[in-house]
Amino acid sequence: MKIEREIRNDHIARIEGKAGVVVELGDEITAKINVTEGPRFFEMITRGKTYEDAATICSRICSFCSVPHKLTAVAVAEDALGVEVSEQTTILRDMLYFGNMVESHALHLYLFVAPDYLGYPSAFAMAEKYPQLMKHGLELKSYGAMVQSILGSREIHPENAVVGGFGKLPEKSDMERILKSGTEALQAAVATVDFFAEYEYPTHIDLPRNHLAIRPHRGYSVYGDGISASDGFSFDIEKYREFIQEEVVPHSFAKHSRYRESPFMVGALSRLINNSPLLDGTAKELLSTYRSLLREDNCFANNFAQAIEMVYFIEKINEMAERLTVKKEERVQPEASEGKGYAVTEAPRGLLIYEMELENGRVASLNVITPTAMFLPMMEVDVRNMAKGMWESGYKDPDLIGNKVEMTIRAYDPCISCSVHVVRL
Amino acid sequence: MSDTMKPKVGIHGLTSCYGCQLRMASVQEILRVAQRFDIEYWSMLSSDGTIRHVDIAFVEGSVTTMADEEELKAIRENADVLVAVGSCAIHGGVQGMIFGEEYRKVFGEIYGNCTMDFEAKIAEPIHKFVKVDHNLPGCPPEEDEIMYYLATFAMGSYPEEKDYPVCAECRRNGYPCVLIERGEPCLGPLVQGAGSPRGCMVRFPCENLQGKGHGKGGDKSTDGDFWQAV
Repeated sequence: MKIEREIRNDHIARIEGKAGVVVELGDEITAKINVTEGPRFFEMITRGKTYEDAATICSRICSFCSVPHKLTAVAVAEDALGVEVSEQTTILRDMLYFGNMVESHALHLYLFVAPDYLGYPSAFAMAEKYPQLMKHGLELKSYGAMVQSILGSREIHPENAVVGGFGKLPEKSDMERILKSGTEALQAAVATVDFFAEYEYPTHIDLPRNHLAIRPHRGYSVYGDGISASDGFSFDIEKYREFIQEEVVPHSFAKHSRYRESPFMVGALSRLINNSPLLDGTAKELLSTYRSLLREDNCFANNFAQAIEMVYFIEKINEMAERLTVKKEERVQPEASEGKGYAVTEAPRGLLIYEMELENGRVASLNVITPTAMFLPMMEVDVRNMAKGMWESGYKDPDLIGNKVEMTIRAYDPCISCSVHVVRL
Repeated sequence: MSDTMKPKVGIHGLTSCYGCQLRMASVQEILRVAQRFDIEYWSMLSSDGTIRHVDIAFVEGSVTTMADEEELKAIRENADVLVAVGSCAIHGGVQGMIFGEEYRKVFGEIYGNCTMDFEAKIAEPIHKFVKVDHNLPGCPPEEDEIMYYLATFAMGSYPEEKDYPVCAECRRNGYPCVLIERGEPCLGPLVQGAGSPRGCMVRFPCENLQGKGHGKGGDKSTDGDFWQAV
């Protein structure tokens, strides 16, 4: 094979973690996402630790998704030990999780993606020309961070969410604080949808694909008991190994996942593709206005989907904060100290799977599959098609192609730290 | 202050959860901070990615690959002052809990016979490879601490590291000691104070992930020794 040109960037900026991309252009076109971030062996680190310590350590898999990792590690221990938490705990956890969604989506859309759309190297460079846009971004980010700080004790690596409930319950004044900022945050989120709806998706990468998302317990939620695919198939979480396979590839410290032998997508877009009938309120209205933008065959629709989700999650947080009167209750103490558990939740970037075995209250085994490990193969397909499409349409400038390739990667909102947590199969 | 007087800074990440960079990016006054410094390098936030000479380099993350080690050395060569940010940079982080023989075993179990394109190694703190001028502890560091460090640098001064454990901060804040009340052993007195104790605040034992006390002149045996003690 004759390589006419290679596009190589060892360090893609404005993503979470360290990855590079190599595209070879010529008669044959290939693309590889090199995940160069060093491996961190969370399965081994947590072995022999108590489930509380394990949950605390697992939140360190990633800062952007520390709430999802903490809450999913808590959920898997509860499943293993047969702990049933109260309705109040369920609601407070939803609020905490939704707060993380809003912050994570806001960071991705405003700090990582918006500079691409407007042609700036960074959000700082963009801030001077677009102060209103940055104001919205920071408002949304701060709102999500505040919700997480109130319910989780802080926005990164929350200590307060523990097995059986919460260490410390929020006060009435805390709920009032959340409600007070809710209106402004909602306006900013609606403006975000309008902003991202204006941008046309790049072509060349249109390709039908499978979307995997949670089968939620109730409503458009992040907790569920199984996974559904856009091919119409659905399975219980206990059976995930039958349908999602992981493999090691030489160019990535993160493993690659396949669903029934094929690459697939997870994340905000996949959630909306599979679960949008469960939406309500302003998000539902906005989605019906912009229905044609929810394109299942183009990964750039993920940015738009994240904007829609911010609207939904803020409205839900507001509803819960208004409805809930926090009453004093103790954490549920597990009676068992052994068992095997499964948990699946929707992290901002997509499905997050935990499987845990406990013996004498300590971790005997843990397996975690993160969203980025799931969508890496699909991302490689899209990156290749983007480069191929441009090359064959006559674009020969490697910077131009490289730029579009990076935008494609960013559309997925990859979380490299998550993907290289590396646990054993 | 004229633009030429602004301190030049670089913000770098090795292997970590990126929480320290995220915490730095999300301080309330980030836009004003950005005006007081020339941010020469911040890969997480900007696509302008050349390592140039800076007055102060902040480094989060531990060294877990050969590429990390090379990058860290390049950062050091191009920085007048180097600040290790957070537990991974200062102590090796949670990934530093796997070391020695166990590391080879674990690596083999996971990657099997696959020959990887890049070289990985046992996670180690950055002071094992380069001279570190200041430590900014925390997992991640607290906003007030980040602002204190930035403020001292902006004024041409330097930060004082805390020489007391996390328990001092708990007492000052009036939090009850969760472990002592339950009659359980507690290693809090060994743990570096990092601004605001987050464990006892919510009636949960401190996670202590900010690591062992590491003040000036302190004992530099870290990572593995600390985890074995825990």
